[in-house]
Amino acid sequence: MAQETNKKVIVIDPDKCTGCHSCEMACSIKHFDVCGSGYSRIRIHEFRDVNTFIPIMCQACEDAICIKVCPVNARVRQENGAVVTDEERCIGCKACINSCPFGAVMINPVTEKTMSCDLCMEDELGPWCVKACTMQKALQFVNVQDSVKARGRNWTKLIKDEFSPSLKEDEDSDENYGYGFDLTNK
Amino acid sequence: MNKNKFSNGWMGRRLRIDMTNSKFEIEELSVEYCKKWIGGRGFNSDVVYHETREGMDPFDPDNPICIASGVLSGTFAPSSGRTVVSARSPHTCSIMGTNMHGHGDTNMGGGFGPALKYAGYDQVIVKGKAKNPVYLLINDDDIEFRDAGHLWGLGSKKTTIKILEELDDPDIVVMVIGPAGENLIKFACVLNNFSSAGGRTGMGAIMGSKNLKAIVLKGSNPVNIGNPEEFKKLCWDLRDKIHNAPAAIKHGKLGSLELFDGGNSIGISAHKNCSTGYMKDIEKIYDSSKWAKNFLFRRKSCWSCPVSCGRYTYIKEGKYAGFHCGGPEMESLCNLGPRIDSSDVAGVTVLCGIVNELGIDSISAGAALSWTMEAFEKGYITEKDTGGIRLEWGDIEGSLKVLNMIANREGFGDILAEGTIRAAEILGVGMDIVPHCRGLEHISVDPRIALGFSLGYAMSTRGSDHLKNYSCLEFPGLAVKNKDQLKEALSSKTLKKFWKNFPEQMYKIDTKPELCTWSEKNKCVSDLVGCCCDPIASWGDAGTWKEAYAPLVKTVSGVGLSDDDIFEAAERTIAIERAHWLREGSAKQDDTHIDRYFDETVHDGPYKGMKLDRKEWEWAQKEYYKQHGWDEDGFITPEKAEELGIQEIIPDMKSGKKIYKKWLKEQKINK
Repeated sequence: MAQETNKKVIVIDPDKCTGCHSCEMACSIKHFDVCGSGYSRIRIHEFRDVNTFIPIMCQACEDAICIKVCPVNARVRQENGAVVTDEERCIGCKACINSCPFGAVMINPVTEKTMSCDLCMEDELGPWCVKACTMQKALQFVNVQDSVKARGRNWTKLIKDEFSPSLKEDEDSDENYGYGFDLTNK
Repeated sequence: MNKNKFSNGWMGRRLRIDMTNSKFEIEELSVEYCKKWIGGRGFNSDVVYHETREGMDPFDPDNPICIASGVLSGTFAPSSGRTVVSARSPHTCSIMGTNMHGHGDTNMGGGFGPALKYAGYDQVIVKGKAKNPVYLLINDDDIEFRDAGHLWGLGSKKTTIKILEELDDPDIVVMVIGPAGENLIKFACVLNNFSSAGGRTGMGAIMGSKNLKAIVLKGSNPVNIGNPEEFKKLCWDLRDKIHNAPAAIKHGKLGSLELFDGGNSIGISAHKNCSTGYMKDIEKIYDSSKWAKNFLFRRKSCWSCPVSCGRYTYIKEGKYAGFHCGGPEMESLCNLGPRIDSSDVAGVTVLCGIVNELGIDSISAGAALSWTMEAFEKGYITEKDTGGIRLEWGDIEGSLKVLNMIANREGFGDILAEGTIRAAEILGVGMDIVPHCRGLEHISVDPRIALGFSLGYAMSTRGSDHLKNYSCLEFPGLAVKNKDQLKEALSSKTLKKFWKNFPEQMYKIDTKPELCTWSEKNKCVSDLVGCCCDPIASWGDAGTWKEAYAPLVKTVSGVGLSDDDIFEAAERTIAIERAHWLREGSAKQDDTHIDRYFDETVHDGPYKGMKLDRKEWEWAQKEYYKQHGWDEDGFITPEKAEELGIQEIIPDMKSGKKIYKKWLKEQKINK
């Protein structure tokens, strides 16, 4: 049981996504040595008219429907918790794709079988999509318990702002990154 | 696995569209060709020079509008989402005559370039003119000419939404023009992904002149990588640098608006038609943190860029409550705000949204409005000239009205639609107060203060512009941070001069010809590879463009390019763009500023009293030509042309020089 709660998962925060598709580029080059959204296991769904971007990837459901519906038992859970397609067994029937509530199982454009996020196996950089999102933090690879706590914390922060007066102005620091030319010294 | 076996990095093909006959042709590119021009701006400038002729009307159906991605576009390379659009420009012109045109190009973010590569092409070239409005659907090798009658007259956002609905595919990338492009406004822009605009030099009007409302891309090819393991490593190194660069983090958080923080200290204001050189409290009024607090809905990003400096505006309260749009970026806000002397930030933000919807370049739009305001103030024009409209400094409502009139070519708008310089010529007044080089209006940095930028404006191959010659290293804060780069850019003698006068060197011209020549080539590298200059720019703390992108180009292409090859391709590209002007006879006489900047001083602020000096300028011109290896009139010598492998321009240079000499003679007689 203890092992279960220490599991790390990728947490998505669409509000922080700016639609740069760096995650797709990272995923495709990591797994296929080429770059292209169609080769990625994570996809950004764009709603540019309202500037909203929603990343979709395998959530590695605890009670995964894809594992249940696969007629040849090709959807398997890895040790790191990710649910992946065993290509040896997969017959490409796409039942997993059709049953996934998120549309997060993709077609492998090379083998035409299916594929989904493998959390980059044991890569020392961690999941590449998460690393590519370092600046936006729309994707984070965190302990599953921490992620729950963080969600609650974020939500309560909203409530706090509603119900308590702000005691001090949250001013941005006046660090001069750019031109650093202090006229008063001239 | 891949339909395209040509090579890595490049897709190895370009698409030629014939609008007149609704035909297309796919042309294979050779590795030699790709090595020679690298891509992006290089491919475009080559085609624009070779497929136009001296004296050609930019609205001639044969004028090719070229849209190109770079060799790094669509890959994991950071910030590789830029696209270059080039053609013979309807907007730029020469001192020799406003009906004389030259090279034009514009660089936009968004996702068009990468999508073009996924569709299997490095470049699209559109020629001819359709009988009726059409839009192009490029779906890998299937090209469809679709009716755009129902889209004609619609704004850029509405058009994009309609096309997205019509094709029912959220992954397509759409590049459109607004009503301004349809009505051949000389400074009409093109936009992709709703609000990523390629504004300058009127490329939207060229699309409009071909009856081409939009280009839609849908692609399924991946971009191959020559040496994937090395490429991955280099990309991560560069990304890590950007992730950890304080300047990049700040740029992402506050967008390009953070450049207002430099404000008056580096002469960013464009205040009152770029005349005063100083706007009181500009840093406070247009404070980027305040802007973000009031108007930022969510940030947006170009393809594969970790920085995300793009903005999306939502105005919550006040007169414009409920207004939302993509943008603005700093130049738009500055040229539609301080330039028209407005402190109404919400109103100016709305103007920025409206120019995108109409499809007008925000910088030239601001120029047209501010010129009108100054002309009124000086009494050059009256309500009689404008059909009853009076524009006063800071008038947002009036500006909105006039922008609509420009886009629809109504009344006075019809005159302004020709571009400020031609409008002044038509009205017969105020040519002296149009801040421009080669007909293209200045951006926000005052040409009397930062003299590297100033020289860059005048020497730029598309008319006044900072992005051809981004000599940021002249700003004291950046110079201190990037001493190594300066060592590479300047000879030891000049470097000594630079530090001796520091920080006053910013407004001294003696080191600028060298700095500009180096920056120009260095900046061009980012245009060739299809990457953004910002995250890697000097202030990005992540090295120069050459340093950053040359190793990536080598590994992505796998064809054995050296750093020098890439730098030489940059030089070649600049030369061929320059040659486009030279064959018209436009040389030294156009490499200068208007008299105003030589006669009138900066009105106020830390640089009060500064102006350009004619003698110094003359020296700087000569020195700059020398750095490039051109002759004293700024013509490319036959030796230089041969060295760069563009010997075909030699006869054009000869005939161009004849035109130039003849013009000089006439000037003397007239005097």
